[in-house]
Amino acid sequence: MKKLLALVLCILLICGAVCAAVADEVKIVFCVNLQPQLPLEFWQSIADRYMAAKPDVKVEIIGNPSSNVTLPQYEKTLLGTNQFPDIMVMQNPADFVPSGALLAFDEGDLDYLANPDVGKIGGRQYVANYKKQIIGVFYNKDMFAANGIGEPQTWQEMVDLCEKLLAAGIQPFSMGLKDGWPQSVLANMFAGTDLLAKDAHWGTKRNADEVKFDNPDLVKAMEKHQTVCTKYCGANTAGITYTQMLELFFTGRAAMLPIGSWVNAEVAKAEHDFEVGWFPMPGDDNADVLSVYVNEGLSIGAYTKYPDICKDFIRFFFTDEALYGKFLESEQLFSTTKNAVEYDMIPLRKEMEARIATMTEVEGFESMTGDDAFLPGLKDYYTNKMTQNIAIGMDVTDALDDFDEEWEIAKEAIDDAA
Amino acid sequence: MKHNKLHDFLLAMPGFLIYTVFMIVPLGMCFFYSFTNWDGISPKYKMIGLKNFRRLFADADFYNALKVTLIITVITVLIYNVLGAVLAVFLNRKNRACSFTKSAIFVPAVLSSVVVAFIWSYMMQTDGGVINAVLGLIGIAPFDFYATPLRTIVMISVIIAWNGLGLFVVIYMATLSTIPTEMLEAAEVDGANGIQRFFRVTLPLMMPGITINSILSIAGGLKQYDHVKVITGGGPGGATQTITLLSVEKAFEYNRRGYSSAIILVLFVMIVVLSVIQLSITKRREVKY
Repeated sequence: MKKLLALVLCILLICGAVCAAVADEVKIVFCVNLQPQLPLEFWQSIADRYMAAKPDVKVEIIGNPSSNVTLPQYEKTLLGTNQFPDIMVMQNPADFVPSGALLAFDEGDLDYLANPDVGKIGGRQYVANYKKQIIGVFYNKDMFAANGIGEPQTWQEMVDLCEKLLAAGIQPFSMGLKDGWPQSVLANMFAGTDLLAKDAHWGTKRNADEVKFDNPDLVKAMEKHQTVCTKYCGANTAGITYTQMLELFFTGRAAMLPIGSWVNAEVAKAEHDFEVGWFPMPGDDNADVLSVYVNEGLSIGAYTKYPDICKDFIRFFFTDEALYGKFLESEQLFSTTKNAVEYDMIPLRKEMEARIATMTEVEGFESMTGDDAFLPGLKDYYTNKMTQNIAIGMDVTDALDDFDEEWEIAKEAIDDAA
Repeated sequence: MKHNKLHDFLLAMPGFLIYTVFMIVPLGMCFFYSFTNWDGISPKYKMIGLKNFRRLFADADFYNALKVTLIITVITVLIYNVLGAVLAVFLNRKNRACSFTKSAIFVPAVLSSVVVAFIWSYMMQTDGGVINAVLGLIGIAPFDFYATPLRTIVMISVIIAWNGLGLFVVIYMATLSTIPTEMLEAAEVDGANGIQRFFRVTLPLMMPGITINSILSIAGGLKQYDHVKVITGGGPGGATQTITLLSVEKAFEYNRRGYSSAIILVLFVMIVVLSVIQLSITKRREVKY
C-alpha cells in the first residue's frame, strides 16, 4: 500500500512539474498561407530560427487546410470559433478590422519598413506589408518577333496586335476562369489604367458614397476586360485552371499571359523554349501606369496574450535578411523594407525593376488598401462574381449595378452593427 | 425482465446528447442567426427581424442557385430511381456477369465524393483531359464540358449519379429480394408477360424501396455541395452555384452569416416539405400482402 501511495505521489509530482513547465512556456500560433512556392517547411524554418533565438517561445505553424479554402476564409472560420491565431498572414485586413479582430501597430513598431503608412485604415496600421507585386503582361518574345509585333503602347495597339495574332492562328491570351481569381488580375489592370490613374483614392470616395461603381471610367475598363476575355482568350476559358493557363503560355500555345510578377518564379523554373518578355497593360494613350499589390503582410490578432512577442517575431522576420531574402526569392518579389535585400534574381525580374522605376503606380483595384479598400466581403464579390460575369459576357453596366447593390448591403450591415 | 424506464432513458442518453449537440443546437442557432445581421466574425450583431428573408426572396443569386439545385436534384433523382430500379431488376440474378456488374456499379459508392469529383474534373479537362485525349485518338474534336452553365450542371449531375448509384441499386435489390417468387409465378400462370409482371407485380411491391430511395435522393440533391465545389466552385460567376454553395459563399466570403443562415433555413424547410409530400404519396401506394 505504501509503495502504491509513493508511486501515485511521484506521478502527481511529475505531472505538476510538467504542467508548471508548460504554463511558463510562451506559445504563439502563426497562421500562414500555404502554397507551392511557400510550403509548410519554409514557414517552419522561420519558426525554428526564431525559437532558436528565443528558446522560451514556442511558435506553432498552422495554415489553410486545403487549396479549396482560401486563407481569408480559413481565418474567418478560426475567428468565428475562437481560435484566431496570434500572428497571421493577412491578405484582406478590411474584412477583419471592422470586427475588431486585428491589433493596430504602434508608431515606430514598423520602423524597418520603407513605407509603414501604406494601407492604414482609419489612420491606424494593422498589417506589416511584406511584399510588393506588380501586374502586367508576360509575352512570348519569339512569337512577337516572328509576327513582326512590338510591345503595345496604347489600348488600340493592343487590340491590333491581338487581331494580328488571331489572323496568324495564334491565341493571343492565356486565360482561365475555373479558379476564379486569375481573370480578376486582368480586370484590375484595366481599372488601374482607366480609373485609378485619374484618381488614386477613388476607393475612399466610393466608401464615402460620393461615386458609384457604375461610372463611365470603370464601365470602359470592364468593357476592355470583357473584350479580351470573350474575343482573345480562346473558346473554353470556363474549364481552364490557373495551372493550365501557365501551361498554355509556357508551351507556346498562347502569346500572352496577363498576370502578376509572381509568375517570375515560373519563368525561372518552367520549361520553355522561347524568351519571355513583360510589358504593362497599356491605357488609351500610354503605357505608363502600373498596378501594384501591397495588400498582403503580417498581422497580429487582437486577442493575443503576447502582443510584444508577436511584434518581436514580425520584426525578426523582416530584419533577418537571409530569411526575408529567401521569402522574396520564392516568387521573385519586390521588398518592402528600408534596406534593400539581395537575392538571386532572374534577368527578367531585374529588367522589370529597372523599367517600372519611372512609371506611375496605383494599387491593384480589388486589393486597394486602407481607407480605399472595398467594404468587408466585396473583394470576393468582385473576384468571384462581378468580373467573372463580365468575362463570360454579362452586360457590363448590369454587372456594375449589381456591384453597387452589394455595396449598399455591405454598408448597411456595417451601419447596423455600429 | 422488468421494464425499467430509467434504464431505457440512460441507454438513450448518449445518442440523444450527440443528436442534440450536433443537430438540434446548430439548427436552433441557424434559426436564431437568420433573424440577425451577424457577420460571422464580430462579437456584435443586431436582431433585424425578417429582413434577411425579404432580401433572400428578392435575390437573383438565390433563384439561380435554386434553379441549379433543382436541375441537379431532378436529374439525380431520375437516374437513381429509374436507372437504379431497372438495373436492380436486371441484376437480380445469380450468375458471374451479374455479380461482376453489381460490384462495378457499387465501387464508386465507396469512394469519397471529393475524390470522385477531382478524378472527373481531371478527366474532363478540355485541354489534356483523358476523355478528350481518347476522342482525339479516334479523330473526334475535343468536347468542351464547360461550354455552357447548363451543360456543366448536367455533367455534374451525371457524375453525382455515377458516384451514388450503387447504393440505390443495392436498396432496390434488397427490396426485390423480399418479393415472394410465388406472386411472380402466379402472374405468369395467369398469362402476364414480362412487362406486365414488372408494372403490375414487381413495381408495386418495390414501393418501400422507392419511398426510401426517393427521400434519400431528393434530400441528397437539394443538399448538393461537394461535387460542385470541386468541379466548378460554383462558377463562372455563380452560374453553377447550388444553394449550399451560395450559403457558404455568403457566410465565409461576404461576411453575411445571418443571411447565410436564412438561406439554409429555407433549404431545410424545402427539404422537409418535399419529403413529407413525397412520403405521403409513396406510402399510400405501398402494397401489403
